[in-house]
Amino acid sequence: MIQASKSGRPSFVILQVGERRFALPAAVVAELAPPVRLHSFPHDTPAIRGVIVRRGHIVPVYDAASALGVRSTAAQRFYLITRRRAGKLREFGAIPVNGDCELAEGELQPAAADRPSCVLGTIQLREEILDVFDLDLLMSSGSPADSSASAEVRA
Amino acid sequence: MNPAAAVAKESRNAAQRQVRGSETVVLFMVANQTFAIAADAVQEIRSTDSLSGSAMEIEQIEVGKVRHTIERGRRWYFVVNAGMHFGLPVTRPTLVLILRNLPVAVLIDRIDRMAQIASVYPLPLAFAGEERRWYRGLAKVDDVIVPVIQPGGFLTGEELRVLDVALEAAASQRSELEGAAPA
Repeated sequence: MIQASKSGRPSFVILQVGERRFALPAAVVAELAPPVRLHSFPHDTPAIRGVIVRRGHIVPVYDAASALGVRSTAAQRFYLITRRRAGKLREFGAIPVNGDCELAEGELQPAAADRPSCVLGTIQLREEILDVFDLDLLMSSGSPADSSASAEVRA
Repeated sequence: MNPAAAVAKESRNAAQRQVRGSETVVLFMVANQTFAIAADAVQEIRSTDSLSGSAMEIEQIEVGKVRHTIERGRRWYFVVNAGMHFGLPVTRPTLVLILRNLPVAVLIDRIDRMAQIASVYPLPLAFAGEERRWYRGLAKVDDVIVPVIQPGGFLTGEELRVLDVALEAAASQRSELEGAAPA
């Protein structure tokens, strides 16, 4: 879902993932969270690093850099907390970012044919053209749709 | 009493000691990863050395994480290497968790301790792989999130079927050898 700003233009959150900047529809972004402990354990779901605890929820941390095919950097100091659909349910997810996120408005343009299927389109921000990715498509490979929802944890 | 024996004793009494809304778990380590398993899912904890006499090698290649069976109290248990099961680096396991109500024993590196957990939280839906079978969910233990083992997730029904066939073959081969041995 692309959220429109007061001006009526769709709004996006611009974030740095690895070495590149991308855009995410603002409607799926909940907050920018400070760096907290990453808990990791064995699993075989690609593009997940582990979990963090945020506001009493166990939140999976997406390895967006590998999912988007960009090299990750050591400068990921914050978590962009997003809401994502998983079948009929929704849950929070975290994307490691370096903190330089900004809100921008723009018109979504169609993606080029060679872009990954998770790229919804592009927006132009000043001189820069950014891919807008769909978080659900990015992370949806094999997600169980009808399992239980994430639960609260006493922090 | 050594730590493994103490934990085993604790495990036997765990069901009685469960506080309303909480659960007693055994925290164990494999390749520096911590896991939790419900104490009442563990029947016995033994050192690998103490079980060497009751272990039998089984020849099969389909289920690589199982190389041996052990016999305890007239029951056979398939010995699962937890490191291989979870795709962790190879270690030298020193303990075996013999599970209750399942024909499964699990090779682990060491026991950390017993703990009480208030709840088991569902695995986030973003986790979509084998871990949904491996874990009952996640628990918070002293500000650390640890996966809570699903005891039935160590071997699938198909893996058990393959292993049953291999065990039968190994047992008949063993009895043939014993029959052929001179008195």
